[in-house]
Amino acid sequence: MAKIGVILCNCFGEIGDTVNLETIRERLASDPAVDVVTLRESLCQPGDAAAVHALIRERGIGKVLLGACSPYGRMEVVRLALAKEGVDVRTVRAADLREGCAWVHGKDPEGATRKAASQLGMEIALLQNMEDSRDIDIRIRREALVVGAGPAGLSAACGLARMGFPVHLVDRGTAPGGLLNIVTKSYPTDDPGPAKLNPLIEEMTRNPLIRFFGKTKVASVKGYAGDFKVALKGPEGSTTLRVGAVVLATGARLLFPQGLYGYGKTKNVITQMEMERQFAAGSVACKSAVFIQCAGARNAERPYCSTICCPLSLKNAMRIVEEVPGAEAWVLHRDIMTPGSVLEAYYRKALQRGVRFIRFDADRPPQVRGDGQVSGVEVFDVLSGVTRSIKTDLLVLSTPLVADPESAALTRMLEIPVDRHGFIAEVYPIHPVETRNDGVFICGTARWPVSSDQALAQGEAAAVKAASFLGRGTASALSMSRVPGPKLGHAQANADTCTGCGNCVAVCPYGACKLQRMGQRSVSRVIKVRCKACGSCAAVCPNGAMQIPEQNYRVTGAMIRRAFREVR
Amino acid sequence: MSSSAAGTNILVFACRWCGLIGADAAGRRRTELPVSFRVIPVECAGYVEPDAVIRAFASGAAGVAVLGCHVGGCRFNDANHPALKRLELLRTLLDATGIGGDRLLLGFGTAHEYHQWADTIRAFHKHVAGLPSMASWLPAAAMTGER
Repeated sequence: MAKIGVILCNCFGEIGDTVNLETIRERLASDPAVDVVTLRESLCQPGDAAAVHALIRERGIGKVLLGACSPYGRMEVVRLALAKEGVDVRTVRAADLREGCAWVHGKDPEGATRKAASQLGMEIALLQNMEDSRDIDIRIRREALVVGAGPAGLSAACGLARMGFPVHLVDRGTAPGGLLNIVTKSYPTDDPGPAKLNPLIEEMTRNPLIRFFGKTKVASVKGYAGDFKVALKGPEGSTTLRVGAVVLATGARLLFPQGLYGYGKTKNVITQMEMERQFAAGSVACKSAVFIQCAGARNAERPYCSTICCPLSLKNAMRIVEEVPGAEAWVLHRDIMTPGSVLEAYYRKALQRGVRFIRFDADRPPQVRGDGQVSGVEVFDVLSGVTRSIKTDLLVLSTPLVADPESAALTRMLEIPVDRHGFIAEVYPIHPVETRNDGVFICGTARWPVSSDQALAQGEAAAVKAASFLGRGTASALSMSRVPGPKLGHAQANADTCTGCGNCVAVCPYGACKLQRMGQRSVSRVIKVRCKACGSCAAVCPNGAMQIPEQNYRVTGAMIRRAFREVR
Repeated sequence: MSSSAAGTNILVFACRWCGLIGADAAGRRRTELPVSFRVIPVECAGYVEPDAVIRAFASGAAGVAVLGCHVGGCRFNDANHPALKRLELLRTLLDATGIGGDRLLLGFGTAHEYHQWADTIRAFHKHVAGLPSMASWLPAAAMTGER
């Protein structure tokens, strides 16, 4: 067994003034696993790493235990310096004698010394029993698949191509543009909707690195980060691709408010998208248009704000006032949501143009009057406390964006979770365009309702994140970490003792454990790239077949047995 | 060592991304804590198997604390959530065996909640100190750490 060398840091008295390092040196020196115990004034100062390295070489020490500060203190500096000296830092462990001991037990030096000896003993137990996860290198294919060619997808595809990565851009429609294709004017600039995307569409056709697949769907995706095997189904049959990363920009759909405010039964009750189509056809005829906000949103079923409906209503109400002679426009709302200086100015503009706003209460929604054909709306104005009757011949419902049921098949194949409304979930709030599955990125309304401008920005973000992964060329599995620094290791299933019960498959938060046929039985296998070493699988394995070598059951058992040896 | 100190032995399994960073912050503020606890850093509270908790009691711990991230704030996609359920189930077994479910503490905090860490350790130390000694009924072999 490799000899362990223990180096205790005094930290210029920060540790030694409380913990009696001399006592600890004596106790540890009698441990048969320990070869040498030395005391140093510091470990993180210039020259310290070289001295440690010299000691390691001189004594032929295989594993090093440092008694020093916490991993969040100066330990990172120490490890970097040791690595620079050529020491294999995977065999270096540190016991926290400063933040976790001397500094919290300053009034009990004797107790602190016992505790320091215990914590060092536990680390010795760990060093004696720890094994090494054999790391593997994966080759990352320098190509990306972008699903959805709306604002987000186009922006992501162009971003990636600009950085030199071949992109396969897939859309179920014949042409790129997404929901923007429907709108004839887009807020807040009032430019024609698709015009916003013209530079990107031009770039897409000009750049040979982007290959556009129209009227195409993703039939299947297999594999993992760096090497996804994709099958596409389009008008020209199936295509198979192998890509390193997948960007999902599958977008969302607008809710059809069946039964809400007489929609579907009463004539001239329409949604915003139907109004956009009327504008596109060039014929909106009405004397008075009433817009009802939050139709089917911000309720118990869909408690979220859909972001785009308020500015959309402002835009269309202004169009009614300006483009339809003699017509007036009312917006019935619960709150007008126009965040930022640009949209707030847009709201002021609508007020100046003569759009009238009435605030209603969610508990007393507007009542639609009219038999078969809408004739008016009755609404309780909460600001003035009176019920108002508005004559109208066109009722427009602002319905929220809802998750596209078609993207559910894709998220299932990629094993990424959706939130309770069906939108694709980001992995962590600080990683907003990344998903639970490495190499899969999200942007646009597939992840949450956003405006086209925000979708363009998110597409860029996803492109940058995907590029930083694709550009690596190769990656070690241990580097595919969700936490700062490399992973602890990865789980390994012992095929001889695994009974194929599937507990690990059920509990793994990353879809890394898979059951695989082996002769007559099933055994668990771990996809090393996906595993993040949380240890959940090891905790639920009924017969210890699943282990993380760095912290296997022998390590934990030995640490537990040594924890209170000093106190007995 | 006196039996009264051994009676408050607490083994803490602390998640490296929440609990342990809180412990580190408590250290930097020189928050005085009882010396009765020992820490085993784990990647995630999800790593702590019920067996390890029982082994800790068999090795002389009078209390075991598993301190992870808040439910919903786990570094490993809610891996701590099934762990919480597992350990709550274990608590009923501890009650049934006579060890007592209140010797197991499940705590949740975030990295900046050093005060939460300190309060948890102090309160649990006080609680465990008030419980009858484990030494009186555990086999002698267990108290010397042999298996």
